[in-house]
Amino acid sequence: MNIYCTQGFKFAFEKLLKKKAHRSIEAEIIEYFFNKEANQLLSGVRLNNSSAEPYIKKRLEGSGGFRLYFLIIIKNDSLYLMFVHPKTGPGGAENIDDNYKAKIYKDVLEDIKNHNLYKLTVSEKQRNIKFNHLSNI
Amino acid sequence: MECAANIDTIQDAFLFIRKTSYDEKRDGINTEEQINKFLDRILELQKYLNTKSDKLEEINNKLEGLSWLNDLKESHLLSINDLIASAKDLHSILIRQYVNLNYLRSKGVAKESIKRFKQVIDDLKENIADIESIFFFLPKVPEFVETTRQLSLIK
Repeated sequence: MNIYCTQGFKFAFEKLLKKKAHRSIEAEIIEYFFNKEANQLLSGVRLNNSSAEPYIKKRLEGSGGFRLYFLIIIKNDSLYLMFVHPKTGPGGAENIDDNYKAKIYKDVLEDIKNHNLYKLTVSEKQRNIKFNHLSNI
Repeated sequence: MECAANIDTIQDAFLFIRKTSYDEKRDGINTEEQINKFLDRILELQKYLNTKSDKLEEINNKLEGLSWLNDLKESHLLSINDLIASAKDLHSILIRQYVNLNYLRSKGVAKESIKRFKQVIDDLKENIADIESIFFFLPKVPEFVETTRQLSLIK
């Protein structure tokens, strides 16, 4: 499956990596998302009542861990990471409000239309995520 | 006279020490038993909390599962609304229970079990909010509905 992300996700992710308490996020994302089929990722909370393009919120690393928001377009075998936040620790939040859920949903649609996305790959040793903007590919 | 008073003082001290020594020996055995009973109670509390947390995780999974239902009718939404009200009641009860455990937590008793209990209570709150959003609030946000429509048209 192709994995992409928005600028907003990249920004939130890089901010987390700067905090020692949240550095595990990179390994968590690699383990959960990479080398998987779409149907293996259909769990968590589906926010948009769509079977073909589910917008999903997923808890990673247990209750106190991270919350990931992503969209899957099943027919295109593509997944779009939209936002991430920790539940606890520095920058932690219990949840995001409905307006923000709607905003990042609209943002990803615009970014898909405009090809304003990063394609994600992992390094050979599966330790780091690489971001390549679609305009550079 | 002074000699007799001294003997009384010594005797008084002796009796006090003897009694204390005896009590300490006897209570020492009892204390060990009390510690064992206390530790048993802590283990019981941990087991009780873990069982509750397991059940709450099951509830959380069920709530997440609701979000994957398709073709819901008005009657289904009515039932989900009732379910949300019950889940909110449950959350209020659980939070009160957690507050009652605060003293034990502050003393380090069953710390991990209490921490896990709090986390699953927090997850319950989060799942209730998400389910309410999915079925009752987000479908009323025109921007959200329009985004879903446009995504379905992407080739």
